[in-house]
Amino acid sequence: MLEILQKIYDMTAFGELVESPQSLIMIALAFLLLYLGIKKQFEPLLLVPIAFGVLIANFPGGGMGVIGADGDGMVHFMKDGKMVARAVYEMSLPEIAHDMGIMNFLYYALIKSGLLPPIIFMGVGALTDFGPMLRNLKLAIFGAGAQFGIFAVLLVACNFFTMKEAASLAIIGGADGPTAIFTTIKLAPHLLGPIAIAAYSYMALVPVIVPLVVKLTCSKKELMINMKEQDKKYPSKSEFKNMQALKIIFPIATTTVVALIVPDAVALVGMLMFGNLIKEIGNSTSRIFDAASNAIMNSATIFLGLCVGATMTTEAFLNLQTIGIVCGGFLAFGFSIFGGIMLVKIINLFSKKKINPLIGATGLSAVPMASRVANDIALKYDPRNHVLNYCMSSNVSGVIGSAVAAGILIKFLG
Amino acid sequence: MDCQNLPEALRLMVVGMTTVFSVLLIIIGFGKTLIWAVNKYLPEEEQPKQQARPAAQAAVVSTDVAQAIAKAVEQLTGGKGKVEKIEKI
Repeated sequence: MLEILQKIYDMTAFGELVESPQSLIMIALAFLLLYLGIKKQFEPLLLVPIAFGVLIANFPGGGMGVIGADGDGMVHFMKDGKMVARAVYEMSLPEIAHDMGIMNFLYYALIKSGLLPPIIFMGVGALTDFGPMLRNLKLAIFGAGAQFGIFAVLLVACNFFTMKEAASLAIIGGADGPTAIFTTIKLAPHLLGPIAIAAYSYMALVPVIVPLVVKLTCSKKELMINMKEQDKKYPSKSEFKNMQALKIIFPIATTTVVALIVPDAVALVGMLMFGNLIKEIGNSTSRIFDAASNAIMNSATIFLGLCVGATMTTEAFLNLQTIGIVCGGFLAFGFSIFGGIMLVKIINLFSKKKINPLIGATGLSAVPMASRVANDIALKYDPRNHVLNYCMSSNVSGVIGSAVAAGILIKFLG
Repeated sequence: MDCQNLPEALRLMVVGMTTVFSVLLIIIGFGKTLIWAVNKYLPEEEQPKQQARPAAQAAVVSTDVAQAIAKAVEQLTGGKGKVEKIEKI
């Protein structure tokens, strides 16, 4: 009888949980993330799959945690009660599924191969309207200013991390989840879990971080600059006789320009623009637009979230590096907003037509949340000052800017 | 703390920021050229002025609502669709 009870006990996860109680910390973290995603609505489409991935990966014996490869591409796992070391890139996918479990199969097939981030970018492109950017083209330059955080934090982080790790951390400043994941897969895949969590957490905290940086750096007078009044004072010379044609040609032209200058960014920018192109063409591509923006995007999001969550095992997450990533990510995010605001201030020094610094603050990605937050701030100071359309220009160009920055980091360090 | 990576990080910062600025400046310049080219070679055909609507139809919805519906149809159909009649069911 006692033997049967012992077998039942061994069958459950309780024994291993007692032996390695640190798993409980990760399970608690999963519960916290689930709470934030479900109750607080912090990016629920991503946070809920990530949190659930963390949860299922950290129950001992479940075999759902992702086993990361070391620098030599070796993975260590238990097989027939023995610890085995194998070169993961020499293993076939069925072998990975058999020896390391289904989550590792998904991770190595979909994430480690770099497949899902560009797929998600295609969906993002299908949901993005470049119209506001084309109507306010000059404001698109703030999408470059707001990449400052990436390179500023790289300067700091390279003193504590390797260059590849520092670059993966710094890309959090681009405020773009798929870009952060894509860069990390290429440069420091062992940090994928904490970097993805930090990137998405800070994106969810845009309504807190943007107002904080704006409050620290902008005066009331600057925040009250009314863009529509400025437009009336200094009207733009551009007129649009065929916006539809412009919107169709723009993604093709942008892809060509980026592909020629930063080929490493094409995987992201190219897919972003492809998604946008099939949206803008209209009826004749509506079926694939529908697939890209719904079925494919949603499936990719589910698998990305679950796999990223499953990389957050006790060994990979509970260490000093993770604390460094969380702090560094916050700095990168803050510096990016700061960089955009400072660029506006510099331009305002020399230009008659003044620009509201909130438009610089939205130069980081996080579309469209950053623009909405900036618009709310502007309305607080002047209820007639709607800056949403202007912010969307820098916000959308920030997506291109962060993808280009990622391409440069991959080119130089990959 | 290991500062030996600092020169490389600085170099990356200069190269990175310069490239990001250059790419976006080129996109802005290219965009402006595109706007000019599209305006010149692909201007949208002027929509013929809509005939005055019968009084009965005008009474169905206000001018603002009719304009909003026409705009929505235009956007959804990429400028191909037109509102000819609005009826309350």
